[in-house]
Amino acid sequence: MSDQTETKAARDVGVVIQESENNRPVIEAIEQDNPACTISHSPGLVRITAPQRIVITQETVEEKLGREWETHEFQMAIVSYFGNIQEWDDDEIVIAWDH
Amino acid sequence: MQYELKTQVIEPQRSTFTAIEKRYGDKPASRYLEGIIDVQPKENFHYRPTWDPQREIYDDTFSLFRLTDPYSYLDPRQYYYAPYVTARAGHHEAFATSLSYIEDRGLLERLPDGWKSVLTELVVPLRHLESGGQLILCGMARFGFGATITQAAAYSAFDRVGNAQVLSRAGIALGGGTADLLGEAKEHWMEDASLQGLRKLTEETIVESDWGVALLQLDAVDQLLYDLLYRHLDDEAVVAGAPAYSLISQHMASWFADNRKWIDALYKAWRADEQLGDTNAALLEEHGQRAVDRALEAVTPFAARIDELIGVGAVDCVNAKAAEVRSAHAAEQA
Repeated sequence: MSDQTETKAARDVGVVIQESENNRPVIEAIEQDNPACTISHSPGLVRITAPQRIVITQETVEEKLGREWETHEFQMAIVSYFGNIQEWDDDEIVIAWDH
Repeated sequence: MQYELKTQVIEPQRSTFTAIEKRYGDKPASRYLEGIIDVQPKENFHYRPTWDPQREIYDDTFSLFRLTDPYSYLDPRQYYYAPYVTARAGHHEAFATSLSYIEDRGLLERLPDGWKSVLTELVVPLRHLESGGQLILCGMARFGFGATITQAAAYSAFDRVGNAQVLSRAGIALGGGTADLLGEAKEHWMEDASLQGLRKLTEETIVESDWGVALLQLDAVDQLLYDLLYRHLDDEAVVAGAPAYSLISQHMASWFADNRKWIDALYKAWRADEQLGDTNAALLEEHGQRAVDRALEAVTPFAARIDELIGVGAVDCVNAKAAEVRSAHAAEQA
């Protein structure tokens, strides 16, 4: 039982983002805010995974993008994700496993 | 028969240009970076200009303000041609919508008398100031060093033409679709005591040979004028029942907010320079203060005339803003 919880705790979460001129700053922002993440490229798509938790911060994205960015715009970038969306606020999006 | 679908990934030989790879590593770069980094010509200049043999044709000593690495400055808006043009096209379309609303409702005819005079006598003539601003920024685009800086300056110069157009169109609408008011505005610009300070300062800034100092001067005038006309007066217009003024001024105010971004980032880059930061900060304080003093001197009679016409505390507003800008130039030095 305890074994199982441990594996669960260490499970990865991730997002798959379409690779485009507009999304590249978003990817860079995620990379900066989540030092533990790994990024893999496949044609047209970028898959970002991190243990347990990924945070997308509005402030960082705006800084990279050079314009205002609302978190709901993230829907335009995202192709798929795994994990639960714990928070989707005006200032950040958190993807993590609830249990 | 069965097919197996597989993706075959072909790794690109390189993700971006060498110049960008050197700075940011071998990963895909944004269009903005690809179009701008290390574009400034730096070598193989054959002749020095006959009009200034002490300097190269492109030289970072055309201004006292220098950066060790000119590309430590980036335009935070990341404007290159396409996004810049798109942004401005949207801006002018929005203005056209406001203007047609103003015309449909006859809002300009219904302006209180004092406000009409403010527009025809003081605001519309400022299209000549905008035009002067265009020349100043073109000068900066020519003599500045580092493509990120000169590009931002060039776009800002185009913006000035756009601003002059916004004011002209307001003037044409106010003149019932004729250019009569624009002719009058030129006379006001050339003759009125309230505008001579601004005209003199504009002309002096055009011939200022140091583009950094010229930018500071233009910026100081802008900060006082835009704050007065398109923030303070906008507030007053709402109370005074002059919605036409408000509708026009919102576009100038939003342009100004956008324009500030690249100028503030430039000041910040000057201060943040590892080797020249302290020198730049001292220069910013010295020339910034001087610029504010001169701007205040030029704008005060202009503001006084507004107070004569509508009495809205314009002079106080300008003085307060001047103090604020002055301390901004000094305080950040610490």
